[in-house]
Amino acid sequence: MTVRHVCALVLLVAGTGVLLLSALSLTALARPFARLHALTPATTAGVPLVALALAVETGPGRAAVKLLLIAVIVAFGGAVTAMAIGRATAQHEGLLREDSSQ
Amino acid sequence: MNAWLLATAVLLTLGMPPCVWAAGRGTAVERLAGLNLATALVTAVLLLTAQGLGRSSFTDVALVLAVLGPAGTLVFTRFLGGRSMEAPDTTARGKA
Repeated sequence: MTVRHVCALVLLVAGTGVLLLSALSLTALARPFARLHALTPATTAGVPLVALALAVETGPGRAAVKLLLIAVIVAFGGAVTAMAIGRATAQHEGLLREDSSQ
Repeated sequence: MNAWLLATAVLLTLGMPPCVWAAGRGTAVERLAGLNLATALVTAVLLLTAQGLGRSSFTDVALVLAVLGPAGTLVFTRFLGGRSMEAPDTTARGKA
């Protein structure tokens, strides 16, 4: 078991733990706005950590670059969708007008 | 079973049921949170499966899901925004 494999396993456990905590907190948080706090850690920390673990295990090369690209896309998309869901929730609860530009 | 497939099994058995539960109850806007988290989970599961089974082509499926998942969620938020089941929109849209 090399040092690189150990680093990959540590990153994998961290990423899987964040994803599991996010999924379990989705059931614990009942209010719609509180659920947004469960979404963002999974996309900005959980999936990038898992992809980083796989990239470390794969080693330098095109495959690792593709994995890191997937991590960046998921992190960026997760942030954007969290904002969009928050806006839709605010409109649904009457906190924001439907034709508001904010 | 290696560590990657073990992580896949853990995510599928412990992580996916809360997402399905959240995506299956409540109003349409409240279901989006479960849908979005399920997309992220499945992306991670596909990446781990590709490494665990030694099939690098599964990574392409994860890449497609990472691109199309947020796009689908954005389309849902676009169509659901401002619509309330308790207080439906009463503005006269057909008058103009």
